[in-house]
Amino acid sequence: MDFALNDQQRLLVAVARDVLDKHCPPALVQELALDPRGFRDELWTNVAQLGWAGLLIPADLGGSEASLTEVMLLVEEMGRACFPGPFIPSAVVATTAILAAGTPAQRERLLPAMAIGDQRCTMALAEQDGSFTSADVRMAVDHGGRLHGTKLFVKDAHLAQHLVVAVRADGHAANGAPAITLLVIDTDRAGVRMTPLDAMSGEKLFAVSFEGVAVTSDDVLDEPGHGGEAFASALRAGALARGAEMVGAAQRILELTVDYAKVRVQSGRPIGAFQAIQHRCADLLRNVEAARVMLYHAVWKAEHGVDDASVAMAKAYVGDACLGVARSAHQIFGAIAYCEEHPLHLLHKRIHAGATDYGDRVTHLESVARAIGLA
Amino acid sequence: MDFSLPPDAVAFAATVRRWLAEHPPERFPIDGMDAGYGSGAHSHAFLRALAAEGWISMAWPREYGGQERPLVEKLVLLEELAAAGAPFGPLAGCDQTADAIIRYGTERLRQELLPRIARGEATFWQGFSEPGAGSDLLALTTEARRDGDEYIVRGHKIWSSHAGISTHGLVLARTGRDPRRSHGLSMFVIDNRAPGMEIRPIRNMTGGIYHYEVFLDEVRVPRDMLLGREHEGFVELLKGLDTDRFWGRFYKAPALKRVLAELVTYANTTSRDGVLLARDQGLRRTLAALATELEALRLLFYRIGWMLEQGLPTPYESALAKVLADETGQKVAAFGLELLGPFGALRQDSPWARLGGRLQHIYQTSLSHTIAGGTSEVLRTTVATRGLGLPRDAGGRSALPRDAEARS
Repeated sequence: MDFALNDQQRLLVAVARDVLDKHCPPALVQELALDPRGFRDELWTNVAQLGWAGLLIPADLGGSEASLTEVMLLVEEMGRACFPGPFIPSAVVATTAILAAGTPAQRERLLPAMAIGDQRCTMALAEQDGSFTSADVRMAVDHGGRLHGTKLFVKDAHLAQHLVVAVRADGHAANGAPAITLLVIDTDRAGVRMTPLDAMSGEKLFAVSFEGVAVTSDDVLDEPGHGGEAFASALRAGALARGAEMVGAAQRILELTVDYAKVRVQSGRPIGAFQAIQHRCADLLRNVEAARVMLYHAVWKAEHGVDDASVAMAKAYVGDACLGVARSAHQIFGAIAYCEEHPLHLLHKRIHAGATDYGDRVTHLESVARAIGLA
Repeated sequence: MDFSLPPDAVAFAATVRRWLAEHPPERFPIDGMDAGYGSGAHSHAFLRALAAEGWISMAWPREYGGQERPLVEKLVLLEELAAAGAPFGPLAGCDQTADAIIRYGTERLRQELLPRIARGEATFWQGFSEPGAGSDLLALTTEARRDGDEYIVRGHKIWSSHAGISTHGLVLARTGRDPRRSHGLSMFVIDNRAPGMEIRPIRNMTGGIYHYEVFLDEVRVPRDMLLGREHEGFVELLKGLDTDRFWGRFYKAPALKRVLAELVTYANTTSRDGVLLARDQGLRRTLAALATELEALRLLFYRIGWMLEQGLPTPYESALAKVLADETGQKVAAFGLELLGPFGALRQDSPWARLGGRLQHIYQTSLSHTIAGGTSEVLRTTVATRGLGLPRDAGGRSALPRDAEARS
């Protein structure tokens, strides 16, 4: 039993905080949220040069083989800074999928360029119903080897060279779930079209249409129909990363809010001296601390190969707790945080984006419901 | 980070489970009400059975008859007992009193009381709250005046749990005049049999008796029954209060998990309008959400346990965790009652009761938890001021010292 970070982890967090304070200030985040491309190449290059893009990638493929815990601590800092860009879809989720299912040739082709940030990859999972569960994957490659259909909520597709696309395969996996094939398709292949979705968070989400895209066996990660496990581990990694991002953002909200409550004077005293405000602030701290311990526990379980309901519990809990933090912070700040130039709404919307990505609360609670034995 | 228990603790958990299988908790006679905190009913017999295993004194220093087992094993013991629904109600009071005696008790207290605690013979009530001193504990008026080698105590204590079936009270009384209200208070260990003590039960809304009020009419207390330094009883009490909140709620998460498992079974086996309750999406989601909240609660408490074991300061953590524990408990109880519909109201002895009629009792007792041991309001203020550094409320309480949260 040890709830502390080790020296190496503390150093990573300190470096990340420093780098992001310098290169990813709220003004930049605000600017990029309103900008259609929403990406700053120098920022990405900066963090790539620090090796962040290759943290999960093995050393022989140009990465640094960090632990899942370290990656999540980094993402927590990114959440705090509302870091813009495809770090989670590319460096965490797609990387996990390619590592889990890619052939040696595919790994060689994709991962070294992703490790140094030269190339980026994003995930195309959800379809018309917005579901991130494998049972709801309906798109399939037809008998002529062509892919038709549309994937929704594909983050940063405009910045990616590759897409990991989940499609339905014939038959069922060993656990009874519909069989899944994972494809890697370059974004410039004929028939791939992107339409931006206009999300309140300022995150760049796309509908990606596949209009008769030719698919060959080289595009298949592992074997057709064998993508289910990689799909599941990619989703787990995505849920944890979005969880870490939410905890970081909520921690930042807590700090901004408490700092403000100490200096904003009304009726002759700081509003933080009023119990109505104090009690709200106490609940912000409660939510952040409980969310963080749930997240770390789930990360630890995942890192140790324990596949139980911890990730689902953490994702459901963290999303709810952190959204609660954001909403209550708006009430404490009062009118000022309703302004576009105030950072609170960006943190709030980033949390909302995280809460719905890689399985929303309803999806994860259903996993929990099964895990606790509900019929 | 490492969320696993050490191998010794895992082995000890298995030992406790085996022991519980050999000593089914429901076979022990009950002598006091289950207040719903997770430590079950009050059973002297069960306490003596724990003592026979050496588990009451397991974490004490060897010089006082303990085994110096690590704190995590104590946590494991409490978790296993709560998960089994065992009646270990008086244990927390024994643990906390022993801890205080070991830290700053007189030689007489150590010699006389520690062996009796270790054998499961001595149990304790807390005489802190008074009719006029609840959340504002420092308003207490019970007085103790020195008379040679004795103190003479006079006052009126209330909301003392299990006072009528315990052996001793820990009574906080004013011993000196001091402009600072938190000073001039002392803590006494008082034998229930001392002349001048009158202990009256308070029947509560459940129909049972858990609290007592205690009238102390010129009760003579030997000087070496002073627990801690004279006039500094409150300051010392505060040191204990924080961990008190931790120990007094640690077993709530496992106990609530036990309740939730019963609700899951009920939902899996009960239909309404031809539909299994477990298939109702709303109920299903609520049960799953409660399960996640209980996991968060369990982890928060383990984290504090780890902090205590590491000797790290916990200025607000126990207050925060207690608020969460008690409010989560109220949610579980209220939802359980709702799930059972009209059957939820039926008491244990009703032939139509479901789940043994336990839910109405859990529901009723849960209402007292956010009041006892520091109200959620007082504790949120503690979290805000000590945890977040927000300014103290200037509204008329400037005389209140930093640490003046009360408990009942």
